[in-house]
Amino acid sequence: MVALWTLFKKEVKRFLKVMMQTIVTPFMSSFLYLIVFGVSLGSKMNDVYAVSYLAFLIPGLMMMGLMNNAFQNSSSSIAVMKFSGDLEDIRVTPLSHHHILIAMGLGSVIRGLTVAVVTYLVGVIFYFMQFNSFLGISHPLVLIYFVLVGGFVFGLLGICIGFWAKSIENMAAFTNFILLPLLYLGGVFVSIETLPAWAKTVSSYNPVLYLINGMRYGVLGVSDEFFSMVVKDLKCFKIYLIKF
Amino acid sequence: MSQLALELINLKKSYGTLEAVKGVTLSIKPGEIFGLLGPNGAGKTSIISIITTLEKPTSGQVKIFGYDVEKDPMETKRRIGVVGQEVVNSGYFDVFEILEFMSGYYGILKNKERIDYIMHKLGLYEHRQKKVKQLSGGMKRRLMVAKALVHKPTLLLLDEPTAGVDITLREDLWAYVRELQQEGMSILLTTHYLMEAQELCRQVGIIDRGQLKFVGPTSQIIEQFSAKKIMIKLRKDRESMAHKTFLKKKDGFFEFQIPSQESMGNLFRDLSLTLEDVEDIKTEQGSLEEAFKQIVSK
Ligand SMILES: Nc1ncnc2c1ncn2[C@@H]1O[C@H](COP(=O)(O)OP(=O)(O)OP(=O)(O)O)[C@@H](O)[C@H]1O
Ligand SMILES: [Mg+2]
Repeated sequence: MVALWTLFKKEVKRFLKVMMQTIVTPFMSSFLYLIVFGVSLGSKMNDVYAVSYLAFLIPGLMMMGLMNNAFQNSSSSIAVMKFSGDLEDIRVTPLSHHHILIAMGLGSVIRGLTVAVVTYLVGVIFYFMQFNSFLGISHPLVLIYFVLVGGFVFGLLGICIGFWAKSIENMAAFTNFILLPLLYLGGVFVSIETLPAWAKTVSSYNPVLYLINGMRYGVLGVSDEFFSMVVKDLKCFKIYLIKF
Repeated sequence: MSQLALELINLKKSYGTLEAVKGVTLSIKPGEIFGLLGPNGAGKTSIISIITTLEKPTSGQVKIFGYDVEKDPMETKRRIGVVGQEVVNSGYFDVFEILEFMSGYYGILKNKERIDYIMHKLGLYEHRQKKVKQLSGGMKRRLMVAKALVHKPTLLLLDEPTAGVDITLREDLWAYVRELQQEGMSILLTTHYLMEAQELCRQVGIIDRGQLKFVGPTSQIIEQFSAKKIMIKLRKDRESMAHKTFLKKKDGFFEFQIPSQESMGNLFRDLSLTLEDVEDIKTEQGSLEEAFKQIVSK
């Protein structure tokens, strides 16, 4: 237990030491998205299921930032340890593989959560400036569930990719050609209900979609056909767990 | 339970078609310093990697205080401290943090006292707030030794811990190793400094291209595989002294080289010398280095 706790602490301390990259950069990108899409464009967009576009966008960005950062946290941690020889330090100690997965997964959750919270706070400020009212959280438990699931799953995915990558280029390739398309096409910026039928079908195979909608439901209390999807989402999660 | 600190039983390791370790059997008793010596590429690091479970053996067995490294890795890892050959460069943390994390991985939560003690012992205390990349090469080596000791291992594996460390620090480090041994730690070390190995290790194993060529007491290997030199200066100098062990004449001394176990008396008898004839006599004992060269060149 101490070993697991130590590795978890180390993971969290690590991203806090490089805060510029791990928190301030994601904060900047959320900030820019919110300004460009939420505030400027958003005022000209139709409301999505009875909430303003800005409100629609905030949980999407929170979840996107959470997943992306959870992934980056564990993948870069593993890759750096691998290339520097640090990994052997861990491998000669009595830390079991399960401990390593859990500790690094949870470290990723914390990093993701931090980014999600920062995004939420920025969002709330913009929302307040535009509508003069406070954007609360409708279903905190649902939100916590999706933070944990999203952060953990993407943390584990990051571990896999960190181990798989032979170089930093490998990792960048995975991020740019697989991860980011999944995230951007996961219904952060548009509701899939506005998409043409074929795009809807394609999107329904994107696991990120369910996570983003889950978060949206947690914050706003509405989302794309949510309840039928929660079931699918749970299935998705199981598949992930089996995979790892 | 076995009394041995470490036991290798017919250990083999192949990388693809390359047989790096070809059936090595040896054992280390508790509280012993054992030197595993061999030229570059002999298989020393491969053996250490198998002991620490970084590599899987192709066949054979490794036991640590009776526990099998493959069946009970948690038990064996707890007992081992290892200093790897490659210098590790963890970027984000300072010396103290690294040692604290290392303790944590071994399940020790509050270890400041032990960490401070080790840092003092290894001359790292003044550098405890430095990041690894701010340390010099020798300090990095010492940090690696410190990392291996935080959990009070009973078997310490040192893979060339003194590579790149200057002479004084090397002496300090070996003195510390001896101290650890006196506290009861069993130690396996590899080094290319054979003089130092000779002083430190009661037992040595000599390995060459994966094959263990010799294992046993250091004194025995020196006797068996090296020669001692005897230098004699005569009261009444002669032109020459014919003998099959004669080497050369230098500064008035006749130099002979005889096997370490051979007695000087025999040489005197062969040369029909008496003590009266001798002005001065010097001897030079055989060294591990010579024995090593003998064995490895075979
Ligand atoms: N991971 C590996 N893959 C393939 N071959 C390897 C690997 N590790 C070691 N070898 C080979 O195995 C042999 C033994 O290497 P090893 O590192 O054990 O030697 P060593 O005795 O530690 O040498 P040195 O004194 O140079 O450290 C060498 O021929 C080496 O090239
Ligand atoms: Mg080596």
